[in-house]
Amino acid sequence: MATNPMTQFEVYSIGPKIQIGNIDISFTNSSLFMVITVALISIFFILSTQKKSLIPGKMQLLAEMIYEFVAKMISDTAGKDARPYFPFILSLFLFVLVANMVGMIPYSFTVTSHIIVTFALAFFIFIGVTIIGFIKHGISYLKLFVPSGVPAVLLPLIVVIEIISYLSRPISLSVRLFANMMAGHTMLKVFGGFVVSLGILGGWLPLGFSVALTGLEILVAFLQAYVFAILTCIYLNDALHLHH
Amino acid sequence: MKDIKDLSKKLEKFIPKDKKEVTKNTSSLGIAMRLSSELVAAVFVASVIGYYLDKWLETKPFLLIVFFFLGAITGILNVVRTSKMINKD
Repeated sequence: MATNPMTQFEVYSIGPKIQIGNIDISFTNSSLFMVITVALISIFFILSTQKKSLIPGKMQLLAEMIYEFVAKMISDTAGKDARPYFPFILSLFLFVLVANMVGMIPYSFTVTSHIIVTFALAFFIFIGVTIIGFIKHGISYLKLFVPSGVPAVLLPLIVVIEIISYLSRPISLSVRLFANMMAGHTMLKVFGGFVVSLGILGGWLPLGFSVALTGLEILVAFLQAYVFAILTCIYLNDALHLHH
Repeated sequence: MKDIKDLSKKLEKFIPKDKKEVTKNTSSLGIAMRLSSELVAAVFVASVIGYYLDKWLETKPFLLIVFFFLGAITGILNVVRTSKMINKD
């Protein structure tokens, strides 16, 4: 049994070592859990939409609820124009949500507790949103960095600040998800360690904390997936509707 | 018919309040995390930009210092913007 609370985040390769040039692309436990996440989502949707009855069963109802939840989130934050991006937001939301939830199962691995995973997601969103903005508005998308009604003296400063603000989006998006997941799982492990080291006499209090923290972590897992998706919608909204 | 209307009126009183409370409770944690990460990310990004500009222009510490403060300003601005947006909802 690992006593170091950080060992749960270790990435190790399973199976044969595959290498292309200097890049190690072996199949790791992280990749395994990503595959599990995607497989779970796919299996759930394939099973739940198989019947397509007018009066939905439990599975179909759940699938429809997820669909409506995301559809409402997009129309509330990004408006009608964002409808074409629904599949992307839905897959993003479900991937983060299911990856977080799979991580809550003891002895499993939390994919989203690694900054590189969340940063890859956030950077992909950032690039995508920027491209969408330029396609929609052409070069006038750069007006995003020049707010109206600013005195000319302050303009250079404001433009630099706006550019920094824009560039900090993927960082804040990825750091939030990663920090939440890593901090939560470390805390759970630390309290679990207290239970073992304090033994049968003093271990009850940390055990209670562990139970409470598990509940909190499930809440955080959902909340962070939601925040990740809703911020993507907000960024998409900025790209689609240029108003400054 | 009247009974049903009365009932739905009574129900209306309860439902929105309850719902509001739930969303408020769950998202306050999210708000806290959102604001803090917004502040840190801007400072971090600006400092990295400053560091590499320094390397490129060979003006060692100056641009890093300038951009650090610009990042702090941006971070505060972002926090103000985010909280404004949250208040609007």
